[in-house]
Amino acid sequence: MSDLIYVYGIINENQTPPVFKGIDGERDAHTISLGKVDAVVCDVSQQEFGEEALQQKVEQADWLHEKAFHHHEALMKLYEYCTVIPMKFGTIYKSFENLERTIAKHCDQLIESLEVLVDKEEWNFKIYCNNEKLREGIAIHNPTVESKKEEIAGLSPGRQYLEKRKLSQLVNQELEKEKESFSTLVHDSLQAFSVSSEVKKNWNKDVTGRNEEMSWNSVYLIQKNQVESYLDHIKELQKKWEDSGWMLEATGPWPAYHFVALPKSEGTR
Amino acid sequence: MSIEQSSQSNSLVDVLETVLDKGVVIAGDIRVGIADIELLSIKIRLIVASVDKAKEIGMDWWETDPYLNSKASQDKLREENESMQKRLEELENRLG
Repeated sequence: MSDLIYVYGIINENQTPPVFKGIDGERDAHTISLGKVDAVVCDVSQQEFGEEALQQKVEQADWLHEKAFHHHEALMKLYEYCTVIPMKFGTIYKSFENLERTIAKHCDQLIESLEVLVDKEEWNFKIYCNNEKLREGIAIHNPTVESKKEEIAGLSPGRQYLEKRKLSQLVNQELEKEKESFSTLVHDSLQAFSVSSEVKKNWNKDVTGRNEEMSWNSVYLIQKNQVESYLDHIKELQKKWEDSGWMLEATGPWPAYHFVALPKSEGTR
Repeated sequence: MSIEQSSQSNSLVDVLETVLDKGVVIAGDIRVGIADIELLSIKIRLIVASVDKAKEIGMDWWETDPYLNSKASQDKLREENESMQKRLEELENRLG
Protein backbone atom coordinates (compact mmCIF):
# COMPACT_ATOMS: atom_id res chain seq x y z
CA MET A 1 0.00 0.00 0.00
CA SER A 2 1.40 3.39 -0.91
CA ASP A 3 1.69 6.16 1.65
CA LEU A 4 -0.70 9.07 2.06
CA ILE A 5 0.18 12.75 2.27
CA TYR A 6 -0.89 14.65 5.38
CA VAL A 7 -1.01 18.44 4.84
CA TYR A 8 -0.38 20.95 7.65
CA GLY A 9 -0.49 24.17 5.72
CA ILE A 10 0.39 26.21 2.66
CA ILE A 11 3.31 28.65 2.59
CA ASN A 12 4.98 30.82 -0.04
CA GLU A 13 7.48 29.08 -2.31
CA ASN A 14 11.23 28.97 -1.66
CA GLN A 15 11.13 28.88 2.12
CA THR A 16 12.95 26.48 4.41
CA PRO A 17 10.79 26.04 7.50
CA PRO A 18 12.22 24.19 10.51
CA VAL A 19 12.14 20.41 10.35
CA PHE A 20 9.85 18.69 12.84
CA LYS A 21 8.58 15.15 13.45
CA GLY A 22 5.46 14.34 11.48
CA ILE A 23 2.10 13.31 12.85
CA ASP A 24 3.00 9.61 12.91
CA GLY A 25 5.87 10.45 15.32
CA GLU A 26 8.40 8.77 13.03
CA ARG A 27 8.95 10.55 9.76
CA ASP A 28 9.97 14.20 9.41
CA ALA A 29 7.70 16.75 7.84
CA HIS A 30 8.90 18.41 4.63
CA THR A 31 7.77 20.82 1.95
CA ILE A 32 6.43 19.95 -1.48
CA SER A 33 6.57 22.51 -4.26
CA LEU A 34 3.21 23.06 -5.95
CA GLY A 35 3.96 25.74 -8.48
CA LYS A 36 3.71 29.14 -6.82
CA VAL A 37 3.11 27.83 -3.31
CA ASP A 38 4.53 25.04 -1.16
CA ALA A 39 2.67 22.61 1.02
CA VAL A 40 4.13 21.52 4.36
CA VAL A 41 3.37 17.82 4.61
CA CYS A 42 4.38 14.53 6.10
CA ASP A 43 3.99 11.03 4.73
CA VAL A 44 1.67 8.77 6.69
CA SER A 45 0.71 5.11 6.31
CA GLN A 46 -2.60 3.79 5.03
CA GLN A 47 -2.74 1.55 8.11
CA GLU A 48 -3.06 4.53 10.43
CA PHE A 49 -4.47 7.30 8.26
CA GLY A 50 -6.56 5.51 5.67
CA GLU A 51 -10.23 6.50 5.85
CA GLU A 52 -11.48 3.53 7.83
CA ALA A 53 -8.52 3.41 10.22
CA LEU A 54 -8.60 7.15 10.78
CA GLN A 55 -12.31 7.12 11.55
CA GLN A 56 -11.65 4.58 14.29
CA LYS A 57 -8.72 6.60 15.62
CA VAL A 58 -10.57 9.92 15.80
CA GLU A 59 -13.22 8.25 17.91
CA GLN A 60 -10.58 7.66 20.61
CA ALA A 61 -10.48 10.90 22.58
CA ASP A 62 -6.90 10.49 23.83
CA TRP A 63 -5.54 9.76 20.35
CA LEU A 64 -7.38 12.74 18.90
CA HIS A 65 -6.22 14.95 21.76
CA GLU A 66 -2.59 14.12 21.10
CA LYS A 67 -2.78 14.42 17.32
CA ALA A 68 -4.84 17.60 17.27
CA PHE A 69 -2.29 19.24 19.57
CA HIS A 70 0.54 17.97 17.38
CA HIS A 71 -1.17 19.59 14.37
CA HIS A 72 -1.54 22.84 16.30
CA GLU A 73 2.04 22.85 17.57
CA ALA A 74 3.38 22.10 14.09
CA LEU A 75 1.45 25.09 12.75
CA MET A 76 2.73 27.27 15.60
CA LYS A 77 6.29 26.33 14.62
CA LEU A 78 5.64 27.13 10.97
CA TYR A 79 3.87 30.32 11.92
CA GLU A 80 6.89 31.52 13.91
CA TYR A 81 9.00 31.05 10.82
CA CYS A 82 6.77 32.32 8.01
CA THR A 83 3.27 33.24 6.93
CA VAL A 84 1.16 30.10 6.80
CA ILE A 85 -2.34 29.12 5.76
CA PRO A 86 -3.33 26.53 8.35
CA MET A 87 -5.26 23.54 7.05
CA LYS A 88 -7.93 21.79 9.00
CA PHE A 89 -6.82 18.67 10.92
CA GLY A 90 -6.95 15.54 8.77
CA THR A 91 -6.42 17.04 5.32
CA ILE A 92 -4.96 14.00 3.60
CA TYR A 93 -4.28 13.12 -0.03
CA LYS A 94 -3.76 9.76 -1.63
CA SER A 95 -1.19 11.00 -4.13
CA PHE A 96 0.97 13.94 -5.09
CA GLU A 97 -1.14 14.33 -8.24
CA ASN A 98 -4.37 14.71 -6.23
CA LEU A 99 -2.77 17.26 -3.91
CA GLU A 100 -1.31 19.19 -6.85
CA ARG A 101 -4.60 19.22 -8.75
CA THR A 102 -6.61 20.45 -5.74
CA ILE A 103 -4.14 23.17 -4.80
CA ALA A 104 -3.88 24.33 -8.42
CA LYS A 105 -7.65 24.93 -8.37
CA HIS A 106 -7.30 27.33 -5.41
CA CYS A 107 -3.83 28.65 -6.13
CA ASP A 108 -4.75 32.29 -6.83
CA GLN A 109 -6.87 32.53 -3.68
CA LEU A 110 -4.12 30.95 -1.61
CA ILE A 111 -1.53 33.41 -2.87
CA GLU A 112 -3.91 36.27 -2.21
CA SER A 113 -4.59 35.00 1.32
CA LEU A 114 -0.87 34.69 2.02
CA GLU A 115 -0.46 38.32 0.99
CA VAL A 116 -3.30 39.41 3.25
CA LEU A 117 -1.84 37.55 6.23
CA VAL A 118 1.68 39.01 5.99
CA ASP A 119 2.60 40.93 9.17
CA LYS A 120 -0.69 40.15 10.86
CA GLU A 121 -1.52 38.12 13.95
CA GLU A 122 -4.67 36.34 15.05
CA TRP A 123 -5.65 37.03 18.67
CA ASN A 124 -8.43 35.45 20.64
CA PHE A 125 -10.29 37.52 23.20
CA LYS A 126 -12.66 36.39 25.92
CA ILE A 127 -14.63 38.00 28.67
CA TYR A 128 -15.45 35.98 31.76
CA CYS A 129 -17.71 37.28 34.46
CA ASN A 130 -18.42 36.71 38.12
CA ASN A 131 -22.23 36.61 38.16
CA GLU A 132 -22.51 37.12 41.92
CA LYS A 133 -20.44 40.28 41.84
CA LEU A 134 -22.28 41.65 38.84
CA ARG A 135 -25.64 40.92 40.47
CA GLU A 136 -24.57 42.84 43.58
CA GLY A 137 -23.62 45.78 41.40
CA ILE A 138 -26.92 45.70 39.57
CA ALA A 139 -28.92 45.49 42.80
CA ILE A 140 -27.28 48.77 43.85
CA HIS A 141 -26.70 50.77 40.69
CA ASN A 142 -29.15 49.68 38.03
CA PRO A 143 -31.87 52.37 37.49
CA THR A 144 -34.56 49.87 36.43
CA VAL A 145 -33.96 47.82 39.55
CA GLU A 146 -33.83 50.93 41.73
CA SER A 147 -37.17 52.28 40.56
CA LYS A 148 -38.73 48.85 41.03
CA LYS A 149 -37.46 48.81 44.62
CA GLU A 150 -39.01 52.18 45.32
CA GLU A 151 -42.27 50.97 43.85
CA ILE A 152 -42.23 47.89 46.11
CA ALA A 153 -41.56 49.97 49.23
CA GLY A 154 -44.97 51.61 48.87
CA LEU A 155 -46.90 48.33 48.69
CA SER A 156 -48.70 46.26 51.33
CA PRO A 157 -46.61 43.51 53.04
CA GLY A 158 -48.36 40.70 51.12
CA ARG A 159 -47.81 42.34 47.76
CA GLN A 160 -44.22 43.20 48.76
CA TYR A 161 -43.45 39.51 49.24
CA LEU A 162 -44.64 38.64 45.74
CA GLU A 163 -42.99 41.61 44.12
CA LYS A 164 -39.66 40.93 45.81
CA ARG A 165 -39.58 37.51 44.23
CA LYS A 166 -40.16 39.14 40.87
CA LEU A 167 -37.36 41.57 41.67
CA SER A 168 -34.72 38.85 41.58
CA GLN A 169 -35.97 37.86 38.13
CA LEU A 170 -35.61 41.46 37.09
CA VAL A 171 -32.04 41.53 38.38
CA ASN A 172 -31.25 38.45 36.30
CA GLN A 173 -32.74 40.04 33.20
CA GLU A 174 -30.74 43.19 33.75
CA LEU A 175 -27.64 41.07 34.30
CA GLU A 176 -28.03 39.49 30.87
CA LYS A 177 -28.57 42.90 29.31
CA GLU A 178 -25.49 44.26 30.98
CA LYS A 179 -23.32 41.34 29.82
CA GLU A 180 -24.49 41.92 26.30
CA SER A 181 -23.93 45.67 26.31
CA PHE A 182 -20.57 45.55 28.13
CA SER A 183 -19.22 42.87 25.79
CA THR A 184 -20.42 44.61 22.66
CA LEU A 185 -18.89 47.87 23.82
CA VAL A 186 -15.51 46.23 24.46
CA HIS A 187 -15.71 44.37 21.16
CA ASP A 188 -16.38 47.61 19.28
CA SER A 189 -13.39 49.25 20.90
CA LEU A 190 -11.14 46.28 20.00
CA GLN A 191 -12.31 46.27 16.42
CA ALA A 192 -10.61 49.62 16.02
CA PHE A 193 -7.25 47.81 16.32
CA SER A 194 -8.08 45.00 13.93
CA VAL A 195 -8.27 44.37 10.22
CA SER A 196 -11.07 41.85 10.62
CA SER A 197 -12.86 40.07 13.42
CA GLU A 198 -15.21 37.21 14.11
CA VAL A 199 -17.59 36.74 17.02
CA LYS A 200 -17.58 33.20 18.34
CA LYS A 201 -19.71 31.05 20.55
CA ASN A 202 -19.42 31.30 24.35
CA TRP A 203 -18.32 27.99 25.85
CA ASN A 204 -20.18 26.87 28.93
CA LYS A 205 -18.50 26.04 32.25
CA ASP A 206 -18.46 22.28 31.66
CA VAL A 207 -16.41 22.87 28.56
CA THR A 208 -13.96 25.42 29.97
CA GLY A 209 -13.73 23.87 33.43
CA ARG A 210 -13.71 27.35 34.94
CA ASN A 211 -15.80 28.83 37.70
CA GLU A 212 -16.55 32.07 35.91
CA GLU A 213 -19.02 32.23 33.09
CA MET A 214 -17.83 33.15 29.62
CA SER A 215 -19.76 36.11 28.33
CA TRP A 216 -17.81 36.91 25.17
CA ASN A 217 -15.57 35.06 22.72
CA SER A 218 -14.10 36.57 19.59
CA VAL A 219 -11.04 36.62 17.33
CA TYR A 220 -9.25 39.51 15.67
CA LEU A 221 -6.77 39.76 12.85
CA ILE A 222 -4.35 42.49 13.85
CA GLN A 223 -1.45 44.24 12.15
CA LYS A 224 1.74 43.34 14.03
CA ASN A 225 2.47 46.98 14.81
CA GLN A 226 -0.98 47.32 16.40
CA VAL A 227 -0.74 44.32 18.71
CA GLU A 228 0.91 46.21 21.55
CA SER A 229 -1.77 48.92 21.59
CA TYR A 230 -4.46 46.26 21.39
CA LEU A 231 -3.03 44.46 24.44
CA ASP A 232 -2.51 47.72 26.34
CA HIS A 233 -6.10 48.65 25.69
CA ILE A 234 -7.29 45.33 27.12
CA LYS A 235 -5.05 45.80 30.15
CA GLU A 236 -6.51 49.22 30.79
CA LEU A 237 -10.09 47.94 30.52
CA GLN A 238 -9.23 45.07 32.83
CA LYS A 239 -7.89 47.41 35.46
CA LYS A 240 -10.96 49.58 35.22
CA TRP A 241 -13.54 46.78 35.39
CA GLU A 242 -12.06 43.90 37.39
CA ASP A 243 -13.60 45.06 40.67
CA SER A 244 -17.04 44.99 39.08
CA GLY A 245 -16.65 41.29 38.23
CA TRP A 246 -15.26 41.26 34.68
CA MET A 247 -12.21 39.29 33.56
CA LEU A 248 -10.70 40.05 30.19
CA GLU A 249 -8.34 37.58 28.56
CA ALA A 250 -6.37 37.71 25.36
CA THR A 251 -4.56 34.66 23.94
CA GLY A 252 -2.25 34.54 21.00
CA PRO A 253 -0.81 34.96 18.56
CA TRP A 254 -2.49 32.03 16.82
CA PRO A 255 -1.95 30.83 13.27
CA ALA A 256 -4.65 32.55 11.21
CA TYR A 257 -7.21 29.76 11.53
CA HIS A 258 -10.19 32.09 11.25
CA PHE A 259 -9.16 34.47 8.53
CA VAL A 260 -8.58 32.52 5.38
CA ALA A 261 -11.86 32.15 3.62
CA LEU A 262 -11.88 30.16 0.44
CA PRO A 263 -15.15 30.32 -1.44
CA LYS A 264 -17.04 27.08 -1.14
CA SER A 265 -16.71 25.57 -4.58
CA GLU A 266 -17.22 22.01 -5.73
CA GLY A 267 -14.85 19.70 -3.98
CA THR A 268 -14.67 21.76 -0.81
CA ARG A 269 -16.70 21.18 2.26
CA MET B 1 -5.15 40.61 32.42
CA SER B 2 -3.52 37.39 31.47
CA ILE B 3 -1.95 36.79 28.13
CA GLU B 4 -1.43 33.11 27.75
CA GLN B 5 0.29 30.67 25.51
CA SER B 6 -2.35 29.24 23.29
CA SER B 7 -1.60 25.64 24.14
CA GLN B 8 -2.27 25.94 27.88
CA SER B 9 -4.88 23.74 29.41
CA ASN B 10 -7.68 26.27 29.75
CA SER B 11 -7.60 26.84 26.04
CA LEU B 12 -7.99 23.12 25.36
CA VAL B 13 -11.33 23.72 23.76
CA ASP B 14 -9.94 26.57 21.66
CA VAL B 15 -7.15 24.44 20.28
CA LEU B 16 -9.54 21.58 19.56
CA GLU B 17 -12.08 23.83 17.94
CA THR B 18 -9.65 25.75 15.74
CA VAL B 19 -7.74 22.66 14.67
CA LEU B 20 -10.65 20.29 14.21
CA ASP B 21 -13.30 22.69 13.07
CA LYS B 22 -11.68 25.87 11.78
CA GLY B 23 -8.64 26.03 9.56
CA VAL B 24 -8.82 26.07 5.85
CA VAL B 25 -10.95 23.46 4.24
CA ILE B 26 -9.65 22.18 0.98
CA ALA B 27 -11.15 18.77 0.61
CA GLY B 28 -8.64 15.98 0.91
CA ASP B 29 -9.14 12.42 -0.26
CA ILE B 30 -9.94 11.08 3.20
CA ARG B 31 -13.15 11.97 4.97
CA VAL B 32 -13.85 11.29 8.61
CA GLY B 33 -16.50 12.48 11.02
CA ILE B 34 -15.33 14.07 14.24
CA ALA B 35 -17.40 14.17 17.42
CA ASP B 36 -18.99 17.33 18.76
CA ILE B 37 -16.16 19.60 19.92
CA GLU B 38 -17.77 20.54 23.23
CA LEU B 39 -18.44 16.95 24.23
CA LEU B 40 -14.95 16.00 23.13
CA SER B 41 -13.43 18.79 25.24
CA ILE B 42 -15.34 17.67 28.30
CA LYS B 43 -14.27 14.08 27.75
CA ILE B 44 -10.60 15.02 27.36
CA ARG B 45 -10.76 17.25 30.43
CA LEU B 46 -12.09 14.30 32.42
CA ILE B 47 -9.38 11.96 31.11
CA VAL B 48 -6.65 14.48 31.98
CA ALA B 49 -8.21 15.18 35.37
CA SER B 50 -8.48 11.50 36.24
CA VAL B 51 -4.79 10.94 35.51
CA ASP B 52 -3.91 13.89 37.78
CA LYS B 53 -6.32 12.63 40.42
CA ALA B 54 -4.82 9.16 40.29
CA LYS B 55 -1.41 10.65 40.99
CA GLU B 56 -2.80 12.73 43.81
CA ILE B 57 -4.31 9.76 45.62
CA GLY B 58 -1.21 7.64 45.06
CA MET B 59 -2.52 5.41 42.31
CA ASP B 60 0.60 5.99 40.27
CA TRP B 61 2.51 2.96 41.54
CA TRP B 62 3.09 1.74 37.99
CA GLU B 63 5.36 4.71 37.43
CA THR B 64 7.74 3.54 40.11
CA ASP B 65 7.41 -0.20 39.53
CA PRO B 66 10.72 -1.36 38.02
CA TYR B 67 9.01 -4.12 36.05
CA LEU B 68 6.70 -1.66 34.38
CA ASN B 69 8.81 1.41 34.09
CA SER B 70 12.42 1.83 33.07
CA LYS B 71 12.62 5.18 34.87
CA ALA B 72 11.97 3.37 38.13
CA SER B 73 14.82 0.95 37.53
CA GLN B 74 17.08 3.90 36.78
CA ASP B 75 16.10 5.43 40.10
CA LYS B 76 16.98 2.18 41.82
CA LEU B 77 20.32 2.09 40.03
CA ARG B 78 21.05 5.63 41.13
CA GLU B 79 20.23 4.74 44.72
CA GLU B 80 22.60 1.78 44.57
CA ASN B 81 25.31 3.93 43.06
CA GLU B 82 24.91 6.53 45.76
CA SER B 83 25.13 4.03 48.60
CA MET B 84 28.22 2.45 47.00
CA GLN B 85 29.77 5.90 46.67
CA LYS B 86 29.14 6.55 50.37
CA ARG B 87 30.67 3.27 51.46
CA LEU B 88 33.69 3.95 49.26
CA GLU B 89 34.17 7.37 50.82
CA GLU B 90 33.92 5.89 54.31
CA LEU B 91 36.56 3.28 53.46
CA GLU B 92 38.84 5.90 51.95
CA ASN B 93 38.48 8.09 55.04
CA ARG B 94 39.34 5.18 57.29
CA LEU B 95 42.49 4.46 55.25
CA GLY B 96 43.43 8.14 55.00
